[in-house]
Amino acid sequence: MSFSLYQINTVPSGWRKVLYLNWPLVLLLSIVACIGFMMLYSVAGGSMEPWVMPQAQRFAIGMTAMFVIAMIPIAFWRLVSGLGYAVSLILLLYVEFFGTVGMGAQRWLDLGPFRLQPSELAKITIVMVLAAYYARIDSAKTSHPLYILPPLVLILIPVFLTLKQPDLGTALLLLLGGGAVVFAAGVHWAYFATLIAAGGATVFAVFASRGTEWQLLKDYQFRRIDTFIDPTQDPLGAGYHITQSQIALGSGGFSGRGFMEGTQSRLNFLPEKHTDFIFTTLAEEFGFIGASSLLFIYLLIVALCIWTALSTKDRFASLLSLGIAATFFLYFAINMAMVMGLAPVVGVPLPLVSYGGTAMMVLLAAFGLVQSAHIHRPR
Amino acid sequence: MSGQRVPLRPLSRVIEARQKGESPDYIERENLRQRHEAERDKLRLRAEGRILVVALCFLLGFGAIGVRMGALAASEPQEPDTILANAVIQTGRADIVDRQGRIMATNLLTNALYAHPHEMVDPIAAAEGLVEIFPEMDYDRLVAQLTSERRFLWLRRSISPEQEQAVHDLGEPGLLFGPREIRLYPNGAIAAHVMGGASFGQEAVNAAEIVGVAGLEAQFDAQLRDPARAQNPLRLSLDLAIQSATEEVLASGMGLMNARGASAVLMDAHSGEVIALASLPDFDPNARPRPLTTGNDPSQSPLFNRAVQGVYELGSVFKVFTVAQALDLGMVTPETVIDTSSPLRIAGFNIRDFRDYGPRQTATEVIVHSSNIGTARIADEIGPDRQRMFLEDLGLLEPAPLEIVEARTGRPMIPARWERLSTMTISYGHGLSVSPLHLASGLAAMVNGGTRVTPSLIAQDQPPEAGQRVISEQTSTQINAMMRAVVDGGTASLAEVEGYEMGGKTGTADKPNPAGGYYEDRVIATFAGAFPMRDPKYVLIVTLDEPEIVALGETRRTAGWTAAPVAAEILRRVGPLLDMQPVIAPAVVSQLSSHIE
Repeated sequence: MSFSLYQINTVPSGWRKVLYLNWPLVLLLSIVACIGFMMLYSVAGGSMEPWVMPQAQRFAIGMTAMFVIAMIPIAFWRLVSGLGYAVSLILLLYVEFFGTVGMGAQRWLDLGPFRLQPSELAKITIVMVLAAYYARIDSAKTSHPLYILPPLVLILIPVFLTLKQPDLGTALLLLLGGGAVVFAAGVHWAYFATLIAAGGATVFAVFASRGTEWQLLKDYQFRRIDTFIDPTQDPLGAGYHITQSQIALGSGGFSGRGFMEGTQSRLNFLPEKHTDFIFTTLAEEFGFIGASSLLFIYLLIVALCIWTALSTKDRFASLLSLGIAATFFLYFAINMAMVMGLAPVVGVPLPLVSYGGTAMMVLLAAFGLVQSAHIHRPR
Repeated sequence: MSGQRVPLRPLSRVIEARQKGESPDYIERENLRQRHEAERDKLRLRAEGRILVVALCFLLGFGAIGVRMGALAASEPQEPDTILANAVIQTGRADIVDRQGRIMATNLLTNALYAHPHEMVDPIAAAEGLVEIFPEMDYDRLVAQLTSERRFLWLRRSISPEQEQAVHDLGEPGLLFGPREIRLYPNGAIAAHVMGGASFGQEAVNAAEIVGVAGLEAQFDAQLRDPARAQNPLRLSLDLAIQSATEEVLASGMGLMNARGASAVLMDAHSGEVIALASLPDFDPNARPRPLTTGNDPSQSPLFNRAVQGVYELGSVFKVFTVAQALDLGMVTPETVIDTSSPLRIAGFNIRDFRDYGPRQTATEVIVHSSNIGTARIADEIGPDRQRMFLEDLGLLEPAPLEIVEARTGRPMIPARWERLSTMTISYGHGLSVSPLHLASGLAAMVNGGTRVTPSLIAQDQPPEAGQRVISEQTSTQINAMMRAVVDGGTASLAEVEGYEMGGKTGTADKPNPAGGYYEDRVIATFAGAFPMRDPKYVLIVTLDEPEIVALGETRRTAGWTAAPVAAEILRRVGPLLDMQPVIAPAVVSQLSSHIE
């Protein structure tokens, strides 16, 4: 039995594909989005405006995109991954020159009714292109130095462009998300050891550059790092973000103050309370139970993606699913860690919960890829 | 398959097959397949291993976050002063006063109410009593909280003396008070956007920190909080009486003109001190509303400072800058005749005038009649580079350095490519968006003799040094005469106030439609003026958002009909407060004396 015959026999086709969707994943994503709607409703003081309605619309669009993407064979997505990557690079370059400046950083692209954040798109296309690369090359050559170079360049270009914007959080996500794919592809351990050492050296260089002409980070980024290391040294300046959200987390206690009863996050203490710091509202209103439930749902979503990665024999689909799982994990891990004072404040949204259009739609589209991998897996 | 590689065509098997009369090729195929499968299995195993390693990292991450979450959630039932023991809470925020020393913001000592449930004698009775004193408290919830194991509970962050007495009379030892200062703005909404507002930062039972969250309070937070300077109030350039009058007139003007919003800036033309700065709708900084009250557009929130944060295409008022630059470059004199034949076609784009005053007009007439064509022709001579440099020198291309945090967000919108067509449209105020405050400081430099001013909200004890020269004194005199002519018989004749010699320029700009293009029936109407025109001391900007009135049987939106009369009314009210001597023209004096006879 040839491979194509094998596939025809076992991969569902037509409308039967709908039955083979990873429905638990759809359910979990919807639950998380609903939690997001509730929180946005609460921070708006019990109102659908201004955040819930646009967010719900984007969720609907994103879900539709997910289903459409899921119906298209994964092989197609492998073929277009290079193109997707190129497009996101062009958009990143475009935003560098013509983007709208929002919140002190140049991250947006104005497309009439939509405002697109190309760096969000890049998070997925980087994973796609790396997975396609490793699916294509001879697996014996994975660790060959010459074959390490292309993925390195593929990762570093968008990382550099997002650092320029400046958007430290996204740059970090791109780097770690891409790194996860390279790691899963089986590149030799020694490379990662070298990279970590080089990373350490870079951190050192960044700090050594402080105050000099060629300073590598903006002053506010340095201050964020400072306050992360010691938030109490400046509890009302830059450290205000962190201590206030920690107080909010603490005041939620075990079972929380109840829906719409949060005070910390509704008395305008918290900046960006509907975007990056929305988790504090959840923690305050639903306490440890609510917060850990959300964490558990996230865990299940990541687990489902990893299960898809393990169960498919297609190398591209496997690496892609893992990469998306990693990106998703990094999103909320960095966000939660940031809010709880475990990581510096870098500006990463809580996936599917924070207010923000591009992140939600791009993530749902990415889960569409995982769904496609799930439906079209050679069994 | 390990170590030794199995040959694809093992000789013994080939011979064996030949002896049986079979083709030996299948042996090779089979061995090749086996080798590939083994290779793939090895790879899969390694890939799975790697994926599991990544998954393990995830799991550790989940664990770390979960543990931290638990630790934070468990940290609650403690009194805040023990949590924050490492930081001393600083109270005694400095006052803010106007230029005459009148209080704009001060502190009021009240009490906070909290409970120690474990020390309560009779929680049920206490809950009943509390609900009576604070009807908004929920009885069942209160009972649950007061009978719980908690050791600490905030009840009210700030209570009145009467409430304090009533709680005291309950006689419950588990109910405690802590002193607490609150920030008070005794004038309510007056100068709300300048003051901004404050809220509590760190809270402990014996004190709470006041943190500036917007406006001056946020900008000067560190200074106001500095204990060494607590006795020195921050003295503003604003004048409370003038500010109040400006807001009142502006509010009624906004109502009369059916506008959605309005702003006004009154600035000292020489020092750049802002005497009054109003943006409507406004809010009460004592109870600062949440951001974004309606819709998705922050600029519709009362918190939005239209005078500073709002950048608009301000229309024809920009003609003053264009003509002033041309005068200064010696390209035109007030009497130079300019070709204003209509329409002017540039790059497939037609420039027209609101009303046609004939194919030839002098530079003065171009201003007085507000000719787009004439201004565009002048700007074409100036060219993009010089125009850009000039506007940059006036500070119109960067956020205004006003001392409120919102000023940084009032970033002018400049064209991506500043070429011939943009130069011509910018010359009459389209294609470049700036805030009314930008316009005020730009106009101040035109009328004050030609030196740049830096807008400021802080009272300046000495007159500041003259800024960079942008136009010559002679040009300034010429442009002042032109602006006077606009009010004295031109498009802004409704802005005339007897005795104050107001001069200025109107601007009516179609509002951009978010869906593309411009609205035909929604405008931003601006009057930019200065007075007295003989030697201008003050600049006054009035901007109305979507005004629309019916006058003389027609629907009118132009600034001459809307913003100009509002500006005149403001001047009528604040003129006497500005210590100015109205100058009565001799003709009027003789008229008056004839009346007496």
